[in-house]
Amino acid sequence: MFKKHRFETVRKELEALLGPENIFTDAAELLMYSYDAGLARAKPEAVARFTLTEQVAPAVKILYAAGIPYLPRLAGTNLSGGTIPLKGGVILNLSLLNKIRQIDTVNKVAVVEPGVVNLRLQQELDKFGFFYAPDPSSQKVSTIGGNIGENAGGPLCLKYGVTADNVERLEVVTPEGSVKRWSYLDPGPDLMSLIIGSEGTLGIVTRAWLKIIEKPKLVKTAVAAFPSIENAITAVTGIISSGIAPRALEAMDKMSLSAAKKTLKTDYPAGSEAILIIELDGAGDKKINQELRDIEYICRAEAAVYFKTAAGAEEREALWQARKGAYPAMARLAPNVLVEDGVVPRPRLPQALKETREILSKYKLTAGLLFHAGDGNLHPNIVFDERDLQEGKRVRKAGYEILKSCIRLGGSISGEHGIGVEKRVAMNWMYDARTLDFFAGIKKAFDPADLANPDKILPVACDHRAGLRYADPAPFGDAAAALVNDLLLRARSGIPSAVTGLGTKLKKNRIMEGLKTAETSALNRVLELDRANFTVKAEAGISVRELKRSLKDDGFEIALPDLEGSLGGAIAAKTWPPLRNLILGMDIALADGAVLTLGGKIVKNVAGYDALKLLCGSLGAYAVILTVTLKTALRSHSACGGTAGSESGFEPDEYHCRLKKAFDPRNLLNPWMYGRVEGRG
Amino acid sequence: MSKYEINELYDHAQGAFHLKNLLTDLGERSVYDAAAQCNRCGYCGTVCPTYMLTGRETLSARGRNQFLRMLIEGKVAGAETAAESFGTCLLCGACSSACYAKVPTPDLALEGRRSQTGYGRNFLAGVAVNLLLNNRGFFEFWLKAAFLLKKLGFAGLADLLGLYDFLGLPALSAAQGVLDRAPLKFLRDIFNQDPALNPKGKKTVSWAYFALCGPNYIFPEVGLASVALLKRFSGEGVFADNFCCGLIAYNYGRLTEAKEFAKKNILRFEELTAAFGNFTVVGDCSSCAAFMKTYEQLFTDDESWRPRAAAFAGAVKDILEVIDAEQVTARDRGAAGRTTYHDSCRACHGQDIRKEPRAVVKKLAGENFAELPESDWCCGGAGAYAFTQPALSRQILDRKVRNIASIRAATVVVGATSCLLQINAGLKEKYPSAKAVHYSVFVDGLTNPSAKAADVNPPKGRFTSPTI
Repeated sequence: MFKKHRFETVRKELEALLGPENIFTDAAELLMYSYDAGLARAKPEAVARFTLTEQVAPAVKILYAAGIPYLPRLAGTNLSGGTIPLKGGVILNLSLLNKIRQIDTVNKVAVVEPGVVNLRLQQELDKFGFFYAPDPSSQKVSTIGGNIGENAGGPLCLKYGVTADNVERLEVVTPEGSVKRWSYLDPGPDLMSLIIGSEGTLGIVTRAWLKIIEKPKLVKTAVAAFPSIENAITAVTGIISSGIAPRALEAMDKMSLSAAKKTLKTDYPAGSEAILIIELDGAGDKKINQELRDIEYICRAEAAVYFKTAAGAEEREALWQARKGAYPAMARLAPNVLVEDGVVPRPRLPQALKETREILSKYKLTAGLLFHAGDGNLHPNIVFDERDLQEGKRVRKAGYEILKSCIRLGGSISGEHGIGVEKRVAMNWMYDARTLDFFAGIKKAFDPADLANPDKILPVACDHRAGLRYADPAPFGDAAAALVNDLLLRARSGIPSAVTGLGTKLKKNRIMEGLKTAETSALNRVLELDRANFTVKAEAGISVRELKRSLKDDGFEIALPDLEGSLGGAIAAKTWPPLRNLILGMDIALADGAVLTLGGKIVKNVAGYDALKLLCGSLGAYAVILTVTLKTALRSHSACGGTAGSESGFEPDEYHCRLKKAFDPRNLLNPWMYGRVEGRG
Repeated sequence: MSKYEINELYDHAQGAFHLKNLLTDLGERSVYDAAAQCNRCGYCGTVCPTYMLTGRETLSARGRNQFLRMLIEGKVAGAETAAESFGTCLLCGACSSACYAKVPTPDLALEGRRSQTGYGRNFLAGVAVNLLLNNRGFFEFWLKAAFLLKKLGFAGLADLLGLYDFLGLPALSAAQGVLDRAPLKFLRDIFNQDPALNPKGKKTVSWAYFALCGPNYIFPEVGLASVALLKRFSGEGVFADNFCCGLIAYNYGRLTEAKEFAKKNILRFEELTAAFGNFTVVGDCSSCAAFMKTYEQLFTDDESWRPRAAAFAGAVKDILEVIDAEQVTARDRGAAGRTTYHDSCRACHGQDIRKEPRAVVKKLAGENFAELPESDWCCGGAGAYAFTQPALSRQILDRKVRNIASIRAATVVVGATSCLLQINAGLKEKYPSAKAVHYSVFVDGLTNPSAKAADVNPPKGRFTSPTI
């Protein structure tokens, strides 16, 4: 199928670099790298095994120069076909790069190579009384590199955030083979976060500095059994609205439970159709016990027929084994399982569940239902046998319909498993053509020759069916419309703009003489406070203080320090870097006046590149932020005082310039910052 | 089966080389269905020793399942392509333990090996298996001749003369180098002359000792200890005067002969059952005991033998699960030094025996007991693996020795004779202050009122640091 000689042109060089014993081109090895845990299949032309992280960059350089596609691969547990070499090329097998380099309990950081298995890291950290928050169910085998590539979540991300929230710094080999070290604290647009969840399409992580957290003094796990999964989900909404912040809220139905139950001794009362696992942590017994009593009350009010707090470590462990084993245990029921990974705003979970049920019954399929209920993340595990071609077709169709239902409910097509190849087409339903072009621009800026894990994430065929998205209840106001209109008109005649908010970051004297301004100060409304979902959407020009005051009046809180200036300004100038963890969605206007909607009201979303975080620190030069959706009432990640705006320290990286060129090729927004943009990249 | 299209070139009707069906945790399955049950979740990755060492999917449990499946589906050019993948499988079964669906990867890997042209049709292997099967006396004569040469100080000569190869047991020639003493009297000779084990004059017995090849031909002291234990703790019993269990033939890919061994043993079992009613068949090498427990699987295509095989399999017990911790008290707890327990693969993964022997060893060693890290990782012995895959076997062994050294153990209790050979070979070279001891020898040495403490092999001299 592929030109075999293509690899032969680089074989000698790669053999010299890695040793001939680490280059595989025999039929067996190629076949073994033609699959992962998903359903897609394609054979590579060669497999290169690495024994040192330092070998990755030179190998990538060789391949890039020769125009040979490649992709990194570790445990191969990917559920969306992300590790399938669609265009042949070379598989970079990094699984032997599995050293834990350092565990630094003073600075609370662990430095690891990509092949370190998540659980092994946890075991090592445990010896020091620490843990690393992302705990995907696959943690027994999945690796940190893979977790970063997919932006993995897990039960604990309800409280501690997904992988992107728990990485401090990355060493990245870019698609062309340069080695970069990026942190979200660096001045300027956040390139580190852009890499997380990029599924190997923007670079290969060769070393990661991970945030580690001291184990809480107390962890208590309870289980409640309900007569229906709907009751369990409604109880979740009740628990969250009561203001309690559990570290995990996991629901599973009877079918998942019975498949995985081997480890569970408890038999739940007759009529139990679903269970909810609730885990709390903290320092004080008294507070946790009170919260548990409150939760029991809420569950009982939702018809819970059983509620019990796990007596000891063993019972806790058994509960988690049942939960985390629910997916692999599906193998007992049928030879194949398709795990969907839709996300919806949490209050819409009952509706999503109802629709999912209808779709499953329409296609005559059975599925075990698992929910990261606190995050609004659904995992219907549809069991089937791919050898039954008809059934396989029905499964695919049902999977797509479930995704469409999630999009319609204001959610996303993937919360933590990635887009890979299997959900590429669904990107068309989720985003309009302009947004997909925006993502494609990011990919092109990093990988002009399209060799790093090509044909993933972005749809390859034009199947644009936008308009599926949930109708936004808070459309743009007049002020935003006027601003966008200004940008549009200026773009037509090539007139640049200086993007300003309340004028606290961008001092007048910094603006180039004669430059027109694009002011967001009139965009000062709170658009929507979603009380059930704990999100607030506001226009970007609102001052942070005003936003906080307004929320306080409504009885809400936001984990923001008292920052100067506007909300958009605080984001664009990265005055308080942890702010990135609160941002769920944005509407932005590009230099040419195109308006894009990124993210939404969901806490987990890995559909497309993480442009939200990229815009943190973008200093108005990439796009104008129009609206921002934020998490509220999240407990603060050490809310420190605002640090000074970082424009002064910002020296654009080559990749910053490339992205600038992709988003704003004529340098219309804050043009002085990338004065050299024409000359570089 | 007819529901799906499968590869016509992969002829399952070749009964001599393939099992009809596998008896899996999920019920009786065709080989194809059993392989297809693997949904590629990959949760077996971190327990597969060959994958963890090489990082190669080809050498992983999931890879092997997929390979066999693709072979059956006609997606692989020829079974020879898969030779490395199947050939490197330790058959340890750690993957099946980790697998929620209990996909029987070791059985599938063997099925894959048998699909290769010429596999198991090696002339010498054929000779050995046939000798064992039909002319034990002849086999034993030459084996003793080889051992005699070793005893006389001409260890290399037996090798040179090709005696081991002639017996079809090249692995033994590699192993005999690490054997301290080669036995000139096999268990069968001893037990057939033991009046206490003689069926004559007995109406009922509660056990029959089944002499497996490891204890019989290489480690008679293991069998002697097992019988001593059985006599003390399990009442009256007999010597089964059995044949090789057939595992050697089975693992060589010689299914027909494996079935013949099984049939001979089943017949012998039925003779004894006719005389004594119900009793347990006790074996003291976990690999063979696990295999005998799956005799039924050999006869899924044979309605008349199948129930008989099932009856035999149901009576089999590993010595590891026979003794109750309640029954034993140590004469001298300190005798064995710091003691640990290595889960022989076919005990823990093959038979799910973990708790019972651990409880006994723990009780006997008292505070000298220490858990072995990765205790259920294969040691790399795996029958002839050390011979067929020396490089991998060596790496796996190094890891085992490193783990033993990490807890500074002096005595490593094991349940299979293959582990005994392999681990002792590794310890002798790199950590000589420790020694592997078979479970029966360990338990008997510490509980037998007449035994000398030295039988447990307490290490002499001071702790030496590992040389790894």
